[in-house]
Amino acid sequence: MRNHLHKLATTAVAALLAVRTFASSAAPDWLEETFYRSGKINTVIAVVTVVLLGLAFWMFRSDRRLARLEKRMNERHKA
Amino acid sequence: MKSGWWKALGVLLLLYVVIVGLRTPLAPALVHLSEDKLPPGRNEVVVAGYNTRFTADAPQAWLQNDAQFVCATAATAERDDRLRVVFDVPDGLRRDLSHLVVRSNGRTLVFHDAFWNPAKGAGIANAGCAPPVEDTAGPFEFPDRSVLYETIRNLFFHVPMWFTMMWLMTLSLLHSIRTLRNNDLEHDRAAVSAVSTGLLFAFLGLITGSLWARNTWGTWWTSDPQLNGAAAVTLIYLAYLVLRGSVNEFDKRSRLAAIYNIFAYALMIVFFLVLPRLTDSLHPGKGGNPAFSQYDLDHHLRTVFYPAVAGWVLVGTWLYTLRRRARRIEAWLDEEPSA
Amino acid sequence: MRPAEILHLLRLELRLDLHQRHAVGGSLLYVVSAVFVAYQAMQGRAEGTAWNALFWIILLFAAFNTLARSFQREDAGQHLYLYTLADPRNVILARVIYGAGTMLVLSLLSFGTYVLFLGHAPLNDANVGQYLLAVVAGGTGFAAVLTLVSAIASRAGNGVGLMAVLGFPIVLPLLLSAIKAGRLALIGMPWTVTGKYLLWLGLVDVIAVTLAWVLFPYLWRDR
Repeated sequence: MRNHLHKLATTAVAALLAVRTFASSAAPDWLEETFYRSGKINTVIAVVTVVLLGLAFWMFRSDRRLARLEKRMNERHKA
Repeated sequence: MKSGWWKALGVLLLLYVVIVGLRTPLAPALVHLSEDKLPPGRNEVVVAGYNTRFTADAPQAWLQNDAQFVCATAATAERDDRLRVVFDVPDGLRRDLSHLVVRSNGRTLVFHDAFWNPAKGAGIANAGCAPPVEDTAGPFEFPDRSVLYETIRNLFFHVPMWFTMMWLMTLSLLHSIRTLRNNDLEHDRAAVSAVSTGLLFAFLGLITGSLWARNTWGTWWTSDPQLNGAAAVTLIYLAYLVLRGSVNEFDKRSRLAAIYNIFAYALMIVFFLVLPRLTDSLHPGKGGNPAFSQYDLDHHLRTVFYPAVAGWVLVGTWLYTLRRRARRIEAWLDEEPSA
Repeated sequence: MRPAEILHLLRLELRLDLHQRHAVGGSLLYVVSAVFVAYQAMQGRAEGTAWNALFWIILLFAAFNTLARSFQREDAGQHLYLYTLADPRNVILARVIYGAGTMLVLSLLSFGTYVLFLGHAPLNDANVGQYLLAVVAGGTGFAAVLTLVSAIASRAGNGVGLMAVLGFPIVLPLLLSAIKAGRLALIGMPWTVTGKYLLWLGLVDVIAVTLAWVLFPYLWRDR
């Protein structure tokens, strides 16, 4: 039983290692290097997008807040 | 409009930052090598460049090893960003690691510690093929740092978030002190407006930082003192808002919040400014990392970075005043039930 | 600041604690059972880093548990009594000192039980003096920070829950540097290395005590 487990473990480790080496060699052919060609510019785009979305979120909330104030003001005006 | 000049200035600065910060090209650089080990004998290496124009002239290449040079026997440009180099590596280089130097279009491109030389020795006869050439002043471009590449531009969209947050929290601190001094609710409103605007920037800083980290360091989050500090600061100010939410009498609320704010700020400053300096950090300028100010933040980056900080701080202040004015009207509406 | 008044206030605190022995016993029991739970969870095996982190977390919770009492337990009558008789600055100083003393006792006790249960293997090449100094400095810092937070939370009229929300993030810098100092002491680093962190802990203590001293009167002003 023990021997069996041992075998299983070695196979698993070997499989894992194989996957890892495979993964590293199968990493997209560096000669194509789309990654380096784009130079990670997409990260910059994502960051700028996040910042713009954050500002938009803020504007939205301020908008709602002011709308609430306007409503209260109008109610008081009527009263 | 007279008093609004700084708002326009903030927007103009950010416009400048977006245009110049995104359009300026990166300096040419060597980014990838097909080999990392050069045993003695004939070796062929394929060099990937970024923003290079290898085909525009005949590039020269050489290895630099402790002031000794090994010239490439051939350097063929296959594409503008791909160079095939052949070295006849002699026995007995002095250092374990050699730099790869490529000279192309009047620019010297260096890949530091590019290759490992297994056979180290007493030195070789100097070939003398490669005079160290001084670079002439390059055009306006950003440096191409390994790992960072184009993301060096995030410097203008991530780092100023923290500057703006610190500025707003400092404003809030000053207003909190004045709240305690003269019990003026106007200062209390200013303090809470500054905190909530500051939290917006803190969240933006956290998210953008996380994105940037994922694409350079490879993880969304690392146990980095700077990051932990940022998270703690965000938690502290969220707790500040919770404290405000749990007290109804506004007189008491203003005082309790001011006390917590002052206490929190002191410990936050401690956290942000001192703790990262005590431990290693992945962030530049801390621990063993080279500072942006040393060579990363070269003067080309500076000409965009400083306006970016100023622009974001101005826009942040603008957002804060909007929030503060809204709160003021709100307080006025609360105060006079039947005016 | 009058030392005589502080002494008097300290005696008052001690008398209060002796009156409410169940509360004190609760704190002690808390520490022992927390250590026991840690022991069960770790199955008695803990290497240096985990050993150290676990110890500080137990200490942190013990601090919350104990220091939350410092203001929550006083009722309106006691408040009025102190308010009319004592200078608020002396009150906060006395409470911080008392809290630091309690933390000292508690932390030494937890250290003892901790070593008893989880073993002293990580201490083998440690600098125990440094470690105890870190424990003392960290405990004092917890006392200074959490006493003021406890005062804020009790004034907000929203007891222990609010205290946890307000306290955890604010105590974090202290906790992290204490953990770091403890880890360095465990590896047996020389004083020149660990000393930096200990000094730093001491500095945070000083900042926290000073701020508590300056800010407390504003908190005290009314109910």
